[in-house]
Amino acid sequence: MKFSYNWIREFVPGLDVPAEALERLITMKTAECEGVHTAGGLLAGAVAARVEAVEAIPGGHNVKATVDAGKYGRKTVVCGAPNCKPGVMTVYVPLGVKQVSGVLSDGMLASAAELEINKDHSGIVEICHPDQIPLADSIIEIDNKSITHRPDLWGHFGMAREVAAITGMRLADTIHPNLVPAVGGPYEIGIPDTGLCPRYSALVFENVTIQPSPLWLQARLTAIGLNTRNNIVDLTNLIMAEMAQPLHAFDRAKLSGDTIWARPAQEGERMRALNGEEYTLAPANLVIADASGPIAIAGVIGGADTAISDTTTSIVLESANFQAASIRKTSSALKLRTDASMRYEKAQDPLTTWRALARALELLPLLSPGIRLVGGVCTAGNEPLTPAEIQLELDVLDRKLGRVIDAAEVRRILQSLEFTVRDSGPRRFSVGVPTWRATKDVSIADDLVEEVGRMVGYDSITPTPPMVPCAPMPDPPEREFLRRVRRSVAAQGYTEVSNYSFISEEEARRFGFDPAQHLRVLNPIAAGQELMRKSLLPGIHRNILENAKHFDTFRIFEIGREIHPREAMQPDERQHLMLAIFAKDDGRAALQELKRVVEAVAPGLAVASVSPRVWEHPGRCADLVWNEVTVGRLSELHPRLLEGGRGAILDIDLTSIQANPRPAIRYSAVRRFPSSAFDISVLAPQRVQAALLQGWIRQLSGELGEGVEYLGEYTGTPLLIGEKSVSFRVVVGAPDRTLSSHEINAVRDRILAGLQAQHFGHRTLSPHNMRRLMR
Amino acid sequence: MQDLLDSALSRIRTAATAEELEAVRVEVLGRKGVLTNLSKDMGKLSPEERVGRGKFINTAKQALESAWESGKAVFEKIALDSRLDSEWLDLTVPAAGPRPGALHPITLIQWEIEDLFRSMGFSVLDGPEVETEYHNFDALNSPSDHPARDMQDTFWLGSGNLLRTHTSPVQVRGMENLGPPLRMIAPGRVFRNESVDASHEHTFYQVEGMMIDRNISVGNLIYFMKTLLGSIFGREVTVRLRPGYFPFVEPGFELDIQCLLCNGEGCPVCKQSGWVELLPCGLIHPRVLEMSGIDPNQWNGFAFGLGLTRLAMMRYAIDDIRWLQSGDLRFLGQFA
Repeated sequence: MKFSYNWIREFVPGLDVPAEALERLITMKTAECEGVHTAGGLLAGAVAARVEAVEAIPGGHNVKATVDAGKYGRKTVVCGAPNCKPGVMTVYVPLGVKQVSGVLSDGMLASAAELEINKDHSGIVEICHPDQIPLADSIIEIDNKSITHRPDLWGHFGMAREVAAITGMRLADTIHPNLVPAVGGPYEIGIPDTGLCPRYSALVFENVTIQPSPLWLQARLTAIGLNTRNNIVDLTNLIMAEMAQPLHAFDRAKLSGDTIWARPAQEGERMRALNGEEYTLAPANLVIADASGPIAIAGVIGGADTAISDTTTSIVLESANFQAASIRKTSSALKLRTDASMRYEKAQDPLTTWRALARALELLPLLSPGIRLVGGVCTAGNEPLTPAEIQLELDVLDRKLGRVIDAAEVRRILQSLEFTVRDSGPRRFSVGVPTWRATKDVSIADDLVEEVGRMVGYDSITPTPPMVPCAPMPDPPEREFLRRVRRSVAAQGYTEVSNYSFISEEEARRFGFDPAQHLRVLNPIAAGQELMRKSLLPGIHRNILENAKHFDTFRIFEIGREIHPREAMQPDERQHLMLAIFAKDDGRAALQELKRVVEAVAPGLAVASVSPRVWEHPGRCADLVWNEVTVGRLSELHPRLLEGGRGAILDIDLTSIQANPRPAIRYSAVRRFPSSAFDISVLAPQRVQAALLQGWIRQLSGELGEGVEYLGEYTGTPLLIGEKSVSFRVVVGAPDRTLSSHEINAVRDRILAGLQAQHFGHRTLSPHNMRRLMR
Repeated sequence: MQDLLDSALSRIRTAATAEELEAVRVEVLGRKGVLTNLSKDMGKLSPEERVGRGKFINTAKQALESAWESGKAVFEKIALDSRLDSEWLDLTVPAAGPRPGALHPITLIQWEIEDLFRSMGFSVLDGPEVETEYHNFDALNSPSDHPARDMQDTFWLGSGNLLRTHTSPVQVRGMENLGPPLRMIAPGRVFRNESVDASHEHTFYQVEGMMIDRNISVGNLIYFMKTLLGSIFGREVTVRLRPGYFPFVEPGFELDIQCLLCNGEGCPVCKQSGWVELLPCGLIHPRVLEMSGIDPNQWNGFAFGLGLTRLAMMRYAIDDIRWLQSGDLRFLGQFA
């Protein structure tokens, strides 16, 4: 929202704080300013000038004009405007001498666009009297977000009230509400639900002349970024920018019937709006309607069919108040935000409708000489409510701010903002809220704490540590767990990446997920970001492809959430860890390494072979099992998904691991008698898994068995093709004695016999491989 | 005999190798050596001659052994020096195996903030990224017809669900589940429906925090924020509060810090204002407390929000926000 410094000064006479300083004061006390800039900078030195003589310059359309430039004297300027003719009064700007079209031009004659009065640059601006030249202005721009809660600050008068309170100056209220006649007007107003339209008023005028507005009005609107159109439309915009009260003018000749309705639209009713769009309306949209149907979408936009045109001679000027929520809903449903809807959705004060009409009555005779009011005011709606008073305990105020403020100072501040203040008890005020602050903004004592706090200045408050009991606060274990995982994985060489939570349908399908099983964003930022990821894989896969352009080998990891939709419940969000190694080799080492790394996260995790998923190398994939629950996957990317290298992937559901902790550690007595060990090498077909053999051997070693350790594998001569030898070390012992070689051999024989029974042979053992272990 | 001795000493001194030296030792001092033989012959001598021979042998033996030992020491030293020299290693060669990886800059900043607040007795809580409209907006005093909703562009998921636009819903859950007194922060990933460019992201990280106790004041809030920011930036910071509107606080503030680059003098970073807008904060709106089942007449508190992404960018001088979600190791690898 742009504010004109000149305009504010009209309401705060004698304001001597320069615009830049005022901007800082407003920022510190009221709302965030985004900067100050000059509007109509050329106007600063401009004077009225009369063109005395014009002489053509050969070889172009420019002319050499001699002008009487008032205090600057007679000047020769080069001008290209078609209306630069002797006798014309225009605006001269002293810009110094420069050569134009071979002629020395001293200053320039300006167009209205150059002077920032309007957008007209078809010729030099023509005026009748020097007083018509507007003044240069400073524009203070306020961040709209910072006045979301302040309906009154959407107009200059409201901001002027703040400025008066901040500077301790007087606010000049020049509105005369008694200008509005107390008698009724020519139209009936029909409001079925005054909750949606608390007040609708209109004045009817005849003998209207549609013409351009005076330059001062045009300059004012242009300076704050509004378009100029004609005197009537400009007037509605001027009052809106001044009082935050949107107005709308209908061409009376185009209305039918004698009642104006503010009613919900009928299903499917259509209206062509001023912006040229046709809108199909629903009962949730409030409309203004005459006998023929909607003539405006209430509080949002007027209809094209009843708009003011150059031939209009009679108007209906609407000044209404609508329910903020209703306007907001309609505006967002129609995706149509207008200057009016932006103000209405902040909850405007119904009483302002009246003040706005009074202002129009004051200005219209100046803008359209001869204009006549027809009858009185057409109006209907609720009686204005008197806001309830708020009880303000001064001790509470002091406690919340953390500093003591003198009662007289509190009273002065509140009164400067036009709150009423009366004593209602010891150190207690009963505070009356002005109607323009009561619609939404101020309703409880805390709101008054803010009013006082911002005006005394928060920099007057001393930072103070709070006096509170010292007690530990609960700490969810997940935080420390995730930290441990991140640290451990990073220390082992993996770099953390962070990917979006969004994936595309195509990505979902590529990894074998059904797009329909995903949570879907209704308003995605872009195509390809519409699904919530159910796996970190699409992101990690993309990271691999991208980084493979720059590196021959790398290790990455991500910890992030998978989002799984659930029937009639909030989605299940699961923290996953995904590790990936990219390398240009046979891929064995990477898969081995991932197994080792994950053991740091979940010691004792088991690997179980499974059938491959579409994205996996069919011979290189396994489930990861933790406490008998499948918690993840270890696999290599299918070569179809990655060229020029291999990608080993490990995916672990950290939420499952957290939810399913290992049993607490219990010490078991260290054996006093030495254990013994022997190695055996099992002959097995190539694809028999080592873990399977290990499990059998462990089982066969019986109660004397203490452990079976994998040593390694061998293929090649003298073994058969397709055969491998897998070596294990078996540790045996007993708690109460050292085992005899007879006992040890018995265990060994049992194992070998058992393996034989499963049709697995063994290799001859060398005599040295039996030994005693000292533990 | 003297010749024999002189010749042996000379051979010891001139031995070119450890082996040559050892050969002389064996020849002269060994069990079958010359000196041993001389002493074996002593039985044939007269007592006088025997005394003379004995003295000579002892003297000669001492002289030879001493010469041999110093010779041996030289060769040992040469051998050791040669070994040491041959074992020279270039320790600048990078270690085998992967280099340590890097944590994401957001992780680094987040941990720093968590540790700081933990040290001041705050809990670190987490909540879902898919939130209900109630927790994200209504419970924070932003009903659906409120224009404040427009302050945050929201990703909608249907059936009243959305992607959290801030971590404030975790605060609501904290209030609901833990009740007062409460000191908590909620760091995490949040989403806004904004187009991505060098300074805007639809996915970013923030930390929101609140303290609820009896008689918490604006003075307490300023104290905590000064402490927080002083620790983050590693120096005392000057802060100022000015009015700011956020529906879940009343009064609400924007907190600015005096520009750390120009110390308030004015520079391009602070757009010549001397101040940098850093975090929104305020006293928790009584209605927000009430909706989470906390009696605002008994308890009150402050709340604040801090952009972790923004902080990371400030800390590491990152000029383009898109690096953070790029997964590009040329960027991420710098944080090892």
